[in-house]
Amino acid sequence: MPVLLAASKATLKYLDHDGEVFACKDIELEIDEGEFLGILGPSGSGKSSLLYILSGLKTPTSGAVSVDSDNLSDLSDEKRSQLRLSSFGFVFQQPYLLGYLSALENVLISDRSGPEEAINLLDRLEMKEKMHRLPHELSGGERQRVCVARALQGKPRVIFADEPTASLDHKNGLAVVELLNENRGNGALVMVTHDPSMLKKADRIVKIEDGQLV
Amino acid sequence: MSELPNLAPSKPSEPPNPSAKAMLNKEKRVILNPMAPMTFLLRNAGKTIPLALVIVMAVMLIAGIIALIDSIPLSIKTIYSYSKVSLGLSPRGDPSETPKLLSIIKKEAPVPIDRVLVCRASGSQVRSIVGEWPFLVLGLSQPDITYFLDRQAVTHLEGHYPSPGKPEILVSKPVATNLHLHIGSPLLGPDKEYSYSPLVVKVVGIADTNKWLMVDSIEYQRLYYYPPADFAMVFAKNPVDEEKLDTWATKRFLGSNAQVFTYDDIEKQTEDMFKTLFLLLDLVIGMLTLVITLMMGLLINIYQSQRLVEFGLLQAVGYTKKKLVLRSLFENVLIVALGWVLGLLASYILLVILDALLMAPQAYALNVIDTKALEYTIPVPITVLFTACFTVFWRFRNFDPVAVVERRLV
Repeated sequence: MPVLLAASKATLKYLDHDGEVFACKDIELEIDEGEFLGILGPSGSGKSSLLYILSGLKTPTSGAVSVDSDNLSDLSDEKRSQLRLSSFGFVFQQPYLLGYLSALENVLISDRSGPEEAINLLDRLEMKEKMHRLPHELSGGERQRVCVARALQGKPRVIFADEPTASLDHKNGLAVVELLNENRGNGALVMVTHDPSMLKKADRIVKIEDGQLV
Repeated sequence: MSELPNLAPSKPSEPPNPSAKAMLNKEKRVILNPMAPMTFLLRNAGKTIPLALVIVMAVMLIAGIIALIDSIPLSIKTIYSYSKVSLGLSPRGDPSETPKLLSIIKKEAPVPIDRVLVCRASGSQVRSIVGEWPFLVLGLSQPDITYFLDRQAVTHLEGHYPSPGKPEILVSKPVATNLHLHIGSPLLGPDKEYSYSPLVVKVVGIADTNKWLMVDSIEYQRLYYYPPADFAMVFAKNPVDEEKLDTWATKRFLGSNAQVFTYDDIEKQTEDMFKTLFLLLDLVIGMLTLVITLMMGLLINIYQSQRLVEFGLLQAVGYTKKKLVLRSLFENVLIVALGWVLGLLASYILLVILDALLMAPQAYALNVIDTKALEYTIPVPITVLFTACFTVFWRFRNFDPVAVVERRLV
């Protein structure tokens, strides 16, 4: 499989009261097209930071992250945003939806394809019946399903999932991971979690501790 | 999937209760473009309408105040608008000068003259928006009354002309409305300080025109009024030449033994009279605009703060800062434009009601579509929009979407 995403000596550090803190340090990682990569680590290990620099949400302070050999740091903020919108799907810890939009309209935010595919996706996620409901009319699990549909809409090349099960109980969490994995098509799935049981279907698992891959 | 819990709802059959029924009705919701500025405004009417209402109230207040204040000079100009179609010329001190003045007019006037009316004038009063206001009673001969009324676009006359030498007066409809006069009503009399006449003068005719007029016979005025001075009303053949005639007369008789009365002069004097009032008004409106702008700035700031999660999420999934700023600004433009237009509409309705209830029954002039009032409201949308832009740019300046998705900002 060709390499889609690569991190080379990627480091993210910031200053706090105690001085320099390394959120990620010298990360060397390659992610293939269509691969399900699990990033496992305890709380505060830097796994979310790694996800942010891999997805272009944060720029590494040193080293590089490249997509199709293009260094993300060399891209302008606007180009990086465009890349995220066109090629990446995101599922965050909290099921963030826009409160004034229906479930279907929330899926359409990803702007990669039209309502037909969004309705199809919601149907596959068993949410078609409720696609016109507003987020406050949905349960937590249902909201996360809508977030999954939003991330999958338009078949992105990579789906980044940052502890997508954090706000759900174990069974619902597993269901969400299953849905992501089953519906991602040829897209790669990069999922960050502290729970190894969520990564049973992962092609590969990397562990992170104190900002370094171990 | 079979061993996983079913997160989807059971298929609805019959709505179990009214709230469920209401929810099912929402299944027919129209799908809107989620990123269109109108979508946010329409779906958040509870938040956007109060913002627009603040602008509506401000615009209505400013436009209403200006239109009402503007009605003062407008009323005065309207009262004297009969002089628009003629030039008034009166001798100073020496009544025997009048024939000389008439001769100059006939010989030197720069435009063809249609008619020169020799008349007398006495004083009366009308009610203006700022209280009692002096008004001329013109004493004219019978043929001159016909000509004068014709030039004042009188379409109908109720009653008859004042008879020569008799205590009779003709008024126009606005005067009759203003002073609540009917045929037979006394207008001038010996007991009236500012509408004096040795005999009680009663209304015998009401002329249908929008001009303010009081006309009695020149013979009556010659019999009972002092000083015994005739003056002239000069009518250009072509009414469009009246301004040229006025300008010429003002220069020609400057420093001479004659006084020139022109409508332009009345207009200028009226504007000068209210200059200070409008200056003070500028100050008040300026302060009002500043207060409204500050208030709107604070409201928009709160409004933007409530949307941080939305902006964070959209930026995280890939919407550029530029696109989000533009979207936000466009939303503000829509709110401000809506508020301004509705404010103008509301002020128009308010002024129409005021005109019908308060002004028209007194024949006071009120321009319900006052361009000056419109101009005064323009700073409101501009300054509010400027504040909104500043607030939006300030909010997005160092905005980090990761802070939102990591829940550090919410």
